[in-house]
Amino acid sequence: MSEARAARSALKLRTAPLKAIILILIILVAVVAAFPLAWMVLTSLKTPQETMSIPPVWLPATPNLDAYRKVADVLSLGRSFLNSGIIAVVTTAAVDITSLMAGYAFAKHDFRFRDPLFAVLIATMFLPPIVTLIPLYRIVGYLGLNASLMGVVAPNLANAFGVFLMRQFIKGVPNELIEAARLDGASEIRIAFQIVAPAVLPALAALTLFAFVYYWNSYLWPLTVLEGNTEQYPIVVSLSRLLSYNRGAMNTGLVMAGATLAVLPPVMLFVLLQRFFVDSIVASGLSG
Amino acid sequence: MGRGLPSPPRFHETGPRMANRVNLPAFAMLAPATGLIAVFVFIPMALTIWLSLQEWSTQTGFETARFVGLRNFFDIFGSTTVGRDFKTALANTAIYTVLSVAMILPLSVAFGLLVHQKLAPGGVFLRTVLFSTYMVPMIAVALVFSKLYSPTAGPLNQILQWVGLPPSPWLSSPRTALASIVLLNVWQQVGYFTVLAVAGLTQIPAAVLEAATIDGANPLQRFAYIKLPLLGNTLLFSAVIAIINAVQVFEPVALITQGGPVDSTNVLTYHIRRVGIEFAQGGLGSAMAVALMLALVVTIAALFAFARARAGPE
Amino acid sequence: MHLFRVFARAAVGAAILLSTTALSRAAELSFLTHWAPETVAKLQAAATAYSRSHPDTKITFRAVPFGDLLTTLRASGGGPHGVTMASIYDAWLPDLVKNQLVARAPEPIAAETKSNWPASVIGAASVGGVPYGIPNEIDLYALNYNKKLFAEAGVAGPPKTWDELLSDAKKLTDKSKGQQGFGLINSWTAGVVHPFASLLVSNGGDLVVDGKPTLDTKPAKQTFELYETLIKSGYSVPSMGTADANTTGPYLDNFVSGKTGMIIMANWWESALKAGMGDKFSEIATAPIPVGPSGDKPRSISYSWMTVVNAKAPAEEQKEAWDFLDWLNGPQSGPNGASAMGDILMSMGILPSRNSDVSTFRPRLEGDPFLRGYTETLADAKGFPVLLGGQEFSESLQKTLEAMQFGQLSAAAAQQTAQGDAVQILERNAK
Repeated sequence: MSEARAARSALKLRTAPLKAIILILIILVAVVAAFPLAWMVLTSLKTPQETMSIPPVWLPATPNLDAYRKVADVLSLGRSFLNSGIIAVVTTAAVDITSLMAGYAFAKHDFRFRDPLFAVLIATMFLPPIVTLIPLYRIVGYLGLNASLMGVVAPNLANAFGVFLMRQFIKGVPNELIEAARLDGASEIRIAFQIVAPAVLPALAALTLFAFVYYWNSYLWPLTVLEGNTEQYPIVVSLSRLLSYNRGAMNTGLVMAGATLAVLPPVMLFVLLQRFFVDSIVASGLSG
Repeated sequence: MGRGLPSPPRFHETGPRMANRVNLPAFAMLAPATGLIAVFVFIPMALTIWLSLQEWSTQTGFETARFVGLRNFFDIFGSTTVGRDFKTALANTAIYTVLSVAMILPLSVAFGLLVHQKLAPGGVFLRTVLFSTYMVPMIAVALVFSKLYSPTAGPLNQILQWVGLPPSPWLSSPRTALASIVLLNVWQQVGYFTVLAVAGLTQIPAAVLEAATIDGANPLQRFAYIKLPLLGNTLLFSAVIAIINAVQVFEPVALITQGGPVDSTNVLTYHIRRVGIEFAQGGLGSAMAVALMLALVVTIAALFAFARARAGPE
Repeated sequence: MHLFRVFARAAVGAAILLSTTALSRAAELSFLTHWAPETVAKLQAAATAYSRSHPDTKITFRAVPFGDLLTTLRASGGGPHGVTMASIYDAWLPDLVKNQLVARAPEPIAAETKSNWPASVIGAASVGGVPYGIPNEIDLYALNYNKKLFAEAGVAGPPKTWDELLSDAKKLTDKSKGQQGFGLINSWTAGVVHPFASLLVSNGGDLVVDGKPTLDTKPAKQTFELYETLIKSGYSVPSMGTADANTTGPYLDNFVSGKTGMIIMANWWESALKAGMGDKFSEIATAPIPVGPSGDKPRSISYSWMTVVNAKAPAEEQKEAWDFLDWLNGPQSGPNGASAMGDILMSMGILPSRNSDVSTFRPRLEGDPFLRGYTETLADAKGFPVLLGGQEFSESLQKTLEAMQFGQLSAAAAQQTAQGDAVQILERNAK
């Protein structure tokens, strides 16, 4: 025991310079990554002239919240946030559920054509949305869902990425866990939600976060299917209404203000899900 | 992910063979995802393939389509303006994809190690910063970078000047515009891939690393001989997602460069939308989309074959 | 199967929640535009005023960014849904007419339009002599220059000929200050093609005559060479002229920051200049396009916008739509005999085209020194060619001009490429 402890403290001594290097690297990377974000927030506090000046104005002379007031005034911001929320929450919840079920079936069940079916499903992941945009839009129109939030949400209730991700992680869940539940007479659906889901919680949390951010920020599909129906616009599409060759110059600050606000909900979700990413085993194993 | 794990159990091990091949609970669980994907992905995809063999004006119904065989494919690979522009867009997309993957993979692992290590504080903070860039809507990213990239006295050029480097024209030259868009996308997406890398690192059993540490392996050795090989699956997954994302790049082009200058940032998704919708040439646009799909299938298949060949000898 | 039921119930609940929001789109007229939110609010106000006398007509407004207007129209075309009315750019009309997506103007409205708009504007809103839309805004190009920079460089006034343009650009170019004499835009179709076409028509040339490209002519050759000279001599720095999809990017930034001596630009961007320059906007003046060696007088190209009605909409909706558009563009709807549309356009600094609007707003137009540079040449403006495949033709020419700006093509090679590609594209689209 004491030998191991001595080895560890010797290790700590040797790692002191490494620790300093890592710290410097972390700060450096963080600064570079945060710089454009800071620019976005600073620009939201500038006057229109300051946003266009060459050489650039780094800090606004008199920071003000005019852009925030104006963007709320010009766009129906509350409604847009509500629309974004509906789109992101409904699609994320549906993707979590459909992916978990399908991922479990693919990872832990055997059935005819399982591997070909999986391969075909996964192939759709590689399909750029532009490839199916027009036919999909026409189908959604045929279903009478165009120009509405239903139309934005409907095609996104399941996706191959989610199925793939869940299947990969569920494969790592010990079979004994599942077998034990089966012996207790649990149904497969119950096993999926009560045994498998908790076991792959970090992956589910990651999928939730990825899906939420993706659908919160999605642009091309809502823009296409909503056909200009501004009442149903999510925030990101609403902001694009401020882009204009003759008014855009005045609106740069407004877009930045709107975008700064639009980042907040995903950030809150991220902070909320943060703890699922922390791996307690590794933490206790190395820092103890 | 799948390494060294026991193969999935046969369901109803004791039942007759046919019974375990028709697995009702499994089908019930597959139904929602498969059904939705069939209606909203496979049917549109089939329509696109069908349209690629037609002459069709996008601003009309499908009933006006007229069968032309493979003519659209000959056109997009031909020597007319249609073919020339398509081939430029295809090349731009290929360059874009290679550059993106080549930057994102090493950076995500490096940042993942910084986030995952427990030696120095700040890992969680770094992950938060990196991932928050991924959450910024592209419309804001586009406006921020079009300003940062300002070609004369822009903020980035000022910073370059401070550290003694020559300025770059960034988006304002056909030679640097595409790479600048790559850089912007790497900045935005690297946090996402870092989270994936951290997930992969987290899965490496602590006991393995501790054993190596006690055996005297230095951090570099631990990385090269233990972490990197065990990250194989994560890296393959990241590479696949990075390729998909790169091929789909649309918004920065639509919101900043609109394909210019001189078509240097005209990537395929932007070009397909331009031809297929803006010019209403639905048949040609669909043929380009099908060509893009085929190119992707080949690339991804090659990637998996490469990964399998590497994993084989182990 | 308990969880299945929970999932099913949640899905039904979500569906109900979503469909109630979907219900908010009842059967009513819709009007699609690319205008900014503030301007759409003004249109909304006009529609509200209209509904006081026409309580049965309910109009909702749809808005997309400019870059998505055409794609929105194309993508929804032919479907049973589509919007009832749309504001479009004249160059898009022939393709929409070809697929029978826009309705012919009914006889009384066609007659009314004929007697109240200039013939050239009606021409741009017609295909084969048949009017399809009610015109509204008209845009053209003029030289914009920075008086302060001109004074500093010892240049007395704006150039009137291409020779003066080159010699003034030389004096205005100062590499040490990062200052260019003449700004050429890139990465934005209209911004690249329209100023080029304005110089071409001021040199006695044309882009297209009778549906055939005429970029192989001597006036065109001289215009390509003018561009090459501007670039080669360093009077125009291509990297200072990049546009983005929002504010015209560094191109605008450099001009408002006093880094560009002069440019050729449209009247509508007055509001962008004002926003970018504040008080310094008074340093900007406008003048007609300089005349080339083969030209007779300053000209410009012009283009117009119009509102069209969806030919697939039910007949009674079409009638209601035309009645509303007739009112919106008529003399009863705005203040002092102006149309509501004219009033809205003027609020953005955009020129209206209806004769009575032009006379009502004449004092304001003449009192605005910036706009005077434009209105002076309005009579000599030539409409930008309106033909099948017009968008593809424009984007192709844009690319060739940019290749020349960035030194990838010589003037001669650019001219040859531009003509060859244009022939190919127009022939293919005319089929």
